[in-house]
Amino acid sequence: MTAADLAFYVLSAVAVVSGWRVFRTDSMVRASFLLMLSFIAVAAIMLMLAAPYIGMATVFMMAVEMMVMALFMVMFMMNPAGLNPMSMVHQNRLSIGAAATAFVGLTVAVLFTDLPHEKVARQAPVIRDLGHELLGPSMLVFESAGVTLLAAMVASVVLSARSGRFGPSDEGSRPPGLEPGGEPAGRVPESEQEDE
Amino acid sequence: MTAIPLVFALLAAGIWLSALAERFASGRRFPSGTVFAPLLQAARLLSQQSVRTEHPDGLNWVLSPIAYLTLAVAGLSVVPFAPELAVAPLDTGIVLWGACEALTIVAVFLHGWSANSMLPLIGGYRFVAIGLPAMLLSMFVLIAAALPAQSLSVGAIVESQRSLWNVVRQPLGLPLFLLLGLAISLRGPMDYGDAADLSGGTAAEVSGPHRLAWGIARLAMLTAFAAMGASVFLGGYLGPWLPGPVWLALKTAALLLVLTWLGRNLARMPAPRMMAALWLVLLPLSFLDLVIAGVEALP
Amino acid sequence: MAARLARAPGISLQHSIRHAAILLVAGRYRDTDRSALCRLHDQLPQPRATAWWGAAPLTDVHDPVTIAEGDDPVPQLRRLDRDLLRGARASEPDWLPDEPPNAWRGKGDHGQGGKGMMGGVPYGRPMAMMGEEMRDGLMLDAMTVTIGPFLRTLPPGLSLELTLQGDVIQQARVATPAYSASGIASEPLLRAARILELLGLPDLARRARISAARGDDDEGLVAAARRRGALLALPADLADVRARLDAALRRGAAPDPGEECLVDRLAGMEWQSALLRVASFDPATLSRIAPAAEPEEGEEEKAA
Repeated sequence: MTAADLAFYVLSAVAVVSGWRVFRTDSMVRASFLLMLSFIAVAAIMLMLAAPYIGMATVFMMAVEMMVMALFMVMFMMNPAGLNPMSMVHQNRLSIGAAATAFVGLTVAVLFTDLPHEKVARQAPVIRDLGHELLGPSMLVFESAGVTLLAAMVASVVLSARSGRFGPSDEGSRPPGLEPGGEPAGRVPESEQEDE
Repeated sequence: MTAIPLVFALLAAGIWLSALAERFASGRRFPSGTVFAPLLQAARLLSQQSVRTEHPDGLNWVLSPIAYLTLAVAGLSVVPFAPELAVAPLDTGIVLWGACEALTIVAVFLHGWSANSMLPLIGGYRFVAIGLPAMLLSMFVLIAAALPAQSLSVGAIVESQRSLWNVVRQPLGLPLFLLLGLAISLRGPMDYGDAADLSGGTAAEVSGPHRLAWGIARLAMLTAFAAMGASVFLGGYLGPWLPGPVWLALKTAALLLVLTWLGRNLARMPAPRMMAALWLVLLPLSFLDLVIAGVEALP
Repeated sequence: MAARLARAPGISLQHSIRHAAILLVAGRYRDTDRSALCRLHDQLPQPRATAWWGAAPLTDVHDPVTIAEGDDPVPQLRRLDRDLLRGARASEPDWLPDEPPNAWRGKGDHGQGGKGMMGGVPYGRPMAMMGEEMRDGLMLDAMTVTIGPFLRTLPPGLSLELTLQGDVIQQARVATPAYSASGIASEPLLRAARILELLGLPDLARRARISAARGDDDEGLVAAARRRGALLALPADLADVRARLDAALRRGAAPDPGEECLVDRLAGMEWQSALLRVASFDPATLSRIAPAAEPEEGEEEKAA
């Protein structure tokens, strides 16, 4: 067993154990950072697989992502150090089914895929190759995903902003009518439906 | 492997220098032994009790200063002291630095959250809201610096500045990057984590050796940031007559002093205003920086 | 009184009691603040000591260090600090028993305070509880804490009970009012120093305190504050704070805020802005707009 093997087994163990602890801990902030730890261990394995850019970017992305999740949890819960413990699992039956299906599916995929065996050369320009792939053959896929995400972000900010799309949202903004002076377009808010 | 002792020597010198600069800037006179004042302060903190709050998250409470310090060391490991002389001369140097920035925000947040107390929690919470956009714009600025070098490696970025330093080539870069430095080392106008209005924020509940560790980690991050800024914008180890490591140390010291001065002499805006400034003014400026770099890089 | 210490080399006033070595009680305090004082003391890290400067020591304190009101406390404080570090003086024990103020009253099925997963008052302390966010009506947890009466960023004696959602104040209540006006001429400068500290300008704040202690006019103070962006950093909705800071730096009278109620103005404000507004009122105005509220149940001191 070489040092690389040992590192692989240790990192895998960290990834699996911290992934398991995500569901056994009693605080949402702890759960999200345990998930981050699990992802960081996977990122380190990617570094060992000669994918330095993807490995580093995974650490970066997961740190930011889990941080934002934890931020929202504090926003909703206002709960330092998880004062009030809470259970991290719900809808147990459905989740067990989904997890078993995913596990079987992934195992089948791993066992039946013809994985490449040749080693990546030590001096291979892997980052350059990745860049050419992203901005070459795969450009359409990545750019459409990227632009869609950006549009979704802009839309969610517009929808939730206080300035509102049809005037200040805290002063009861109303969309304009389809014809001049007509009924406001779009769905009528529930509170107003009851009045009618 | 000569780079490893160099990293720790630079860290130690940077911590000591910034602690001294901080004391000097505060305008307090000392009867004698000014040079040793930081050591005396450290000895005092070591002799104090490290108070525990009621029901803290013990693991994160202890781990966060350690993680903060480790991230400073990791960030410094990609900074070259001379051509090919870095602990980790990675092709993805600035991506690793970006990961360190992101994890620093996590470490500061956990420090505030784990204390199980209101003021530290608000400190950590507020810091994340300001720290994330600051980190975002620092990434754009770093990518702009990587463009002329055609590489993500810090060594290549330094080499690309042989004819002209990036601070001149991309004038918007360094000022925007300094904002991030103030944020991740928790000082002055960007200190939304450990600020005085929260009685010390995430550090409000720490005392004794724990406070010493947190203080050292903050200054270590400041030093690592200054070395990174010196490498990416001020030509790093490049310079005539003197050996490379000396140039790097001098430029790092200069940035340290600038950051200390800025930290003590700029007022801190209330968080909502800073948030608006970051997203509406400074982030577009970092895009502009990227455009400038891109136009220059056109053949 | 404490402003005089700003000039003393080697003595620094800390923002958090956890960062301090000596608790200096300067001037008289109300009888009702006794328990807050004891709680504050017990949060000091050991080795610790208390010095009473123009203040009557609590009766059950063993071997108190007292300093007369007219005396310079610096030599005594230095000696006390040295004795503590050398172990020549024993560290003070807790003044209060180290136990929860109330019995455990949690009732959750996971051992937590309230029913379900939130709320409740275990040990008599309110936990975070759901409530409508006042700006957009979203259901978010809010937490109630009391700050003061010895918080350095608040006017002395003032203690506020705040219901917080993140760093936004949902509701505020005056638990104890600020100490009445001391009537000293340098009060505006001390108030300006507190505002400057809230803005992250400790050096300028110290300069204002020194000027207040000397009793001279520091002409450059307004210009220095302007250069460092102290006035610029205050957004338009804090224009009244800006005007009062400007007036305080010039030792002038601030424009009268009129008939307003402080705690109503605080609702919906972010933490730093709220503290800036509280710190900007002079003691006479503050006692008018922030009188003590009728006592309710469950008052709790959390911050130092």
